[in-house]
Amino acid sequence: MGLGAKRWTRRAGFVAAVGALAVLLSACTDFNLRTALPPDAASVQGQASRNLYDIVFVIGVAIFVLVEGLILFAVLRYRRKSGDDELPPQIHGNNRLEIIWTAIPIAIVLSLFVLSWQTLNTVDAHTPTPPVRIGVVAYQWQWQFIYAPDGVRWEDCGAPANKGKCVTVFGTPPAGGDRSNWTPPTMHVPVNETVELQMHSIDVIHSFYVPAFLYQRDITPGRDQVIQFTADRIGTYRGQCTQFCGLYHQLMEFQVKVESNADYVAWLQQELTPPPSPSPSGPAGSPGAGAAAGTSVTLQLTASGVAYDKTDLTAPANTPFSILFANNDAGIPHNVSIHAGSATGTEVFKGEIFSGVDTRTYAVPALPAGTYAFVCSVHPNMTGTLTVK
Amino acid sequence: MAVSSSALTPHVPAAGESRALAQRGISNPVLGMILFIVSEVMFFGGLFAAYFNVRLNATQWPPFVNEAVFRPFQIHHEILLPAILTTVLVLSSVTMQLGVWAIRRGDRTGFLRNTGITLVLGLTFLVGQVFDYTQLGFGITDTAFGSTFYTLTGFHGAHVLGGAIMLGVVLYRGMSGQFSAKHHDAVEAVSIYWHFVDVVWIALFSTLYLL
Amino acid sequence: MATTALRPAATYRTGAYDWLTTTDHKKIGILYTFNSLILFLVGGIFALAVRTELAQPGLQFMTESTYNQMFTMHASVMIFWVVIPFLAGFGNYLVPLMIGAPDMAFPRINALSFWLLPLSALIALLGFPLGGAAAEGWTSYSPLAQSKFSSGVGTDLWIVALTLVGTSSILGAINFMVTIFKMRAPGMTLFRMPVFVWTTLVTSVLILMGTPVLTSALIMLYIDRNFGGSFFNTALAGGNAILWQNVFWFYSHPAVYIMILPAMGIVSEVLPTFSRKPLFGYKAFVFATAGIGALGFSVWAHHMFTTGSVYLPFFSLMTFLIAVPTGVKMFNWVATMFRGKLRFTTAMLFAVGFLSLFLIGGINGAVLAAVPVDYHVHATYFIVAHIHYVLFGGSIMGIFAGLYYWWPKMFGRMLNETLGKIHFVGIFIGMNLTFFPMHLLGLSGMPRRIADYSATAGWNDLNLLATIGGFTIAVAMLPFLWNIFITFRGGEPAGDDPWEGNTLEWATSSPPPPYNFDHLPPIRSERPVFDLRHANDVPALTADH
Repeated sequence: MGLGAKRWTRRAGFVAAVGALAVLLSACTDFNLRTALPPDAASVQGQASRNLYDIVFVIGVAIFVLVEGLILFAVLRYRRKSGDDELPPQIHGNNRLEIIWTAIPIAIVLSLFVLSWQTLNTVDAHTPTPPVRIGVVAYQWQWQFIYAPDGVRWEDCGAPANKGKCVTVFGTPPAGGDRSNWTPPTMHVPVNETVELQMHSIDVIHSFYVPAFLYQRDITPGRDQVIQFTADRIGTYRGQCTQFCGLYHQLMEFQVKVESNADYVAWLQQELTPPPSPSPSGPAGSPGAGAAAGTSVTLQLTASGVAYDKTDLTAPANTPFSILFANNDAGIPHNVSIHAGSATGTEVFKGEIFSGVDTRTYAVPALPAGTYAFVCSVHPNMTGTLTVK
Repeated sequence: MAVSSSALTPHVPAAGESRALAQRGISNPVLGMILFIVSEVMFFGGLFAAYFNVRLNATQWPPFVNEAVFRPFQIHHEILLPAILTTVLVLSSVTMQLGVWAIRRGDRTGFLRNTGITLVLGLTFLVGQVFDYTQLGFGITDTAFGSTFYTLTGFHGAHVLGGAIMLGVVLYRGMSGQFSAKHHDAVEAVSIYWHFVDVVWIALFSTLYLL
Repeated sequence: MATTALRPAATYRTGAYDWLTTTDHKKIGILYTFNSLILFLVGGIFALAVRTELAQPGLQFMTESTYNQMFTMHASVMIFWVVIPFLAGFGNYLVPLMIGAPDMAFPRINALSFWLLPLSALIALLGFPLGGAAAEGWTSYSPLAQSKFSSGVGTDLWIVALTLVGTSSILGAINFMVTIFKMRAPGMTLFRMPVFVWTTLVTSVLILMGTPVLTSALIMLYIDRNFGGSFFNTALAGGNAILWQNVFWFYSHPAVYIMILPAMGIVSEVLPTFSRKPLFGYKAFVFATAGIGALGFSVWAHHMFTTGSVYLPFFSLMTFLIAVPTGVKMFNWVATMFRGKLRFTTAMLFAVGFLSLFLIGGINGAVLAAVPVDYHVHATYFIVAHIHYVLFGGSIMGIFAGLYYWWPKMFGRMLNETLGKIHFVGIFIGMNLTFFPMHLLGLSGMPRRIADYSATAGWNDLNLLATIGGFTIAVAMLPFLWNIFITFRGGEPAGDDPWEGNTLEWATSSPPPPYNFDHLPPIRSERPVFDLRHANDVPALTADH
């Protein structure tokens, strides 16, 4: 048996070498053991899911090791020796074995089912009066988070009567897809409080996913979704839309900032206080309403069907001018922003984002002569050329 | 490794010869048609599932008509014409079966007569269906109600048309003497298809007009 | 090597006209095979485009629009024009031979079934020059797939193409079922049929009952897009976006069993031959196959767990349960190898590779049956890992096993074993390099169907690794293509039965004459050729059952 054993050990050594190589390869990458498992949960429900995952994972690995081990053993042990033409015993089956390896898997999957159902009841449980309610509006290709005070529905926050009562976080995708200087829109929530999200989509199916909560929910137009979570770890956690929603699906990122109750209240308060009225000078980003002093030129631009009605605008050089911007898309946020050179160039002006159907007049500061692009901060595909001369 | 040619090796049957040998029972074409009908049942099943899904999810049926977006429509559910069409189609199934029984007996004349009547009744149904479409006050674009109604009845009508074409072929082949009591698989197959088309109509009529 | 044919083996140097008009199931099977092989390369190029873009963060090579077309058409091509037809092609070639029949029940409809495939592939791919191919994902959810959000003609072409593919499939299924029920040679009872024939039968039932529902969904979508219908539009017009998902997945879930069952059948033929033992638990196999088929219709909504519109416990339970018959098969295959005398030809390597890789795909799938786990990894790269372990590690490995195993029968020449082994090693390593990291990417929260990703999310190195794996697979295909080329030029002649097989296709010449058999051996078990070969051996070896 000397030759057989040598061959067997040689093969086993080869398998071990491949395994070591795989481990070495993975150690050289930015993969650390953390990414082999779900993230550490930052919510109570997420922790329940994580506990379930750990159990399921262990069982899965055990089954893999067992069956893969049997395969490897068979492959190594039962290789035909050269010159051996004799038939092995022609075994057709064994009913007892069939029963055993049917019954045991049934028992395993039934237990897993019961376990997962119990966890599901924890994860999807709802309390009737959550202390925090946030409206979430998903649209191509970003998010709005709307905080309404008691007595106001988040859907009514846009009405003139409720002006100044709600806090709205308006998400815009990174300009030109460049994430390097971009912060995703942030949903602030207090730690250890049940937060309810009332989620609505205005166009296609999106999905609200926070990996640290181990949770996502599809938002289908016409079927608003209500979910609850209780974050139990302070920190900032990334989120992203997971339901493919069209051209810029990959830009639909956001983040959830879990902070102490005091910080949360302070943030809300700060957002509700209107900012001091801006001076008309300053090159970058006057959110202005009303025509700038001394302007004679007013450009007209309309957004309809997620598109501008013009692709070319002209403005005088070195003179402030206005843009009368009409947003005719009901419920859809748009604005006009101006970038130097092309849509991915430096932003020199950013008008206030607002939802249709509505009109704003932007006061654009003086720009030197040249070619600029005007772009919707929310929809990067809405773009045109602004010639300043 | 050569195969021994002895009395042990049986005759290999040629395609279609199966009826003469161990595999008796329904012929290949008839089995094929039955399986085809199973697939057609699933096709209509998908359409019916859509109908029930949108209907049960709607707060009212027909769904709310937002007059800012859609032009309003009225549902003229005159049940009389569809009921007459139902009778026509059921009758056509009866005559179809009479035709099948006739050719099984070898009665070519009876078979041709009944098949001819079936075809005429089928075409009558189609004409009546088209006329009914013109009388209804709504179209396919009028909410999910219009979409499901016209898709369901339209595809049924298409199947009736297909069946009528098949009846035409069978009639032509029958008139040129291709069928006998022993060889008439095509007639059996088409008759099964025709009955299926009738059953689907009964389900349609009940669902769309009665429920 | 002796030949059984009375007349010389048919050569395949007959003209193009013959190939274009043939109704011979063997030629049609070969046409299916080459059509799928060509489209496998096309779908593979789309995959390489995806991986190239994702290798590093930042959009370097293409716009989002192009990327979205790439992943949509990659999946569509691979599912509908590669895996399903590859397996249908094997069925076409082998089923009549394996049951001792001279051809399929409806040879002309058989030819129609094939020719619908290259036609429909062209229609779907026509989207590219006409303003963009379909780009909503192969799942084409509404409202995104509605004309308001996807206005190009590419999506409509995709709908038409899939309707034609569905027709081809359904006609094929009818053909298989009538052939199997009605044209078996005397002595070939249902429980003596090769397992591959059983898997083809159950697959045909799934196709027959599932595909028409997809057809209805596609027609409804077409009406929505082109005739102002409101099936899947928002509640304003009474339509229901979730309806699309239900109708679509009612077919598309059984579709995955359509894609795996015949591959399992192939493995069930290859393993016994190269273990020199019968398949362990033949009857258990048959029942497990039927069980998977039946259960397969009851799990579709597990693709919709995160919609909030599904009765979760039922679908979770059924999804867990379907792991059981799958496990039964896995154990039976391993038991087939136990105490055998294993010969590691290329076909056997691919079959054993199937076992290892499908095992991983089965386990990570069973994990998804636990709803809270699915809440975390749905629509992430974990799902992409699962899909590819079962479809590549499962179906494609099974297909390659079948190609190496039956190539000698189909063309009368042996494929080169050295090149075959290089092919196997490259595919096995490449496949794991590409898809194993995706488990980790998904668990850490990387969504699927994104053209680009944040450079600070920690996903950079694993994506690069996956891309290297993808190119490894591409390179590994080269020895296979070269192998085919040199084999046609002058490969070693195969003879009737180069592998000492068990089933009837090995009882005739390679390739078989047009009428398949001059003589059939006596059929007294599920291994008639084995019985014949050992007719003079110790009687205990050949059980009569």
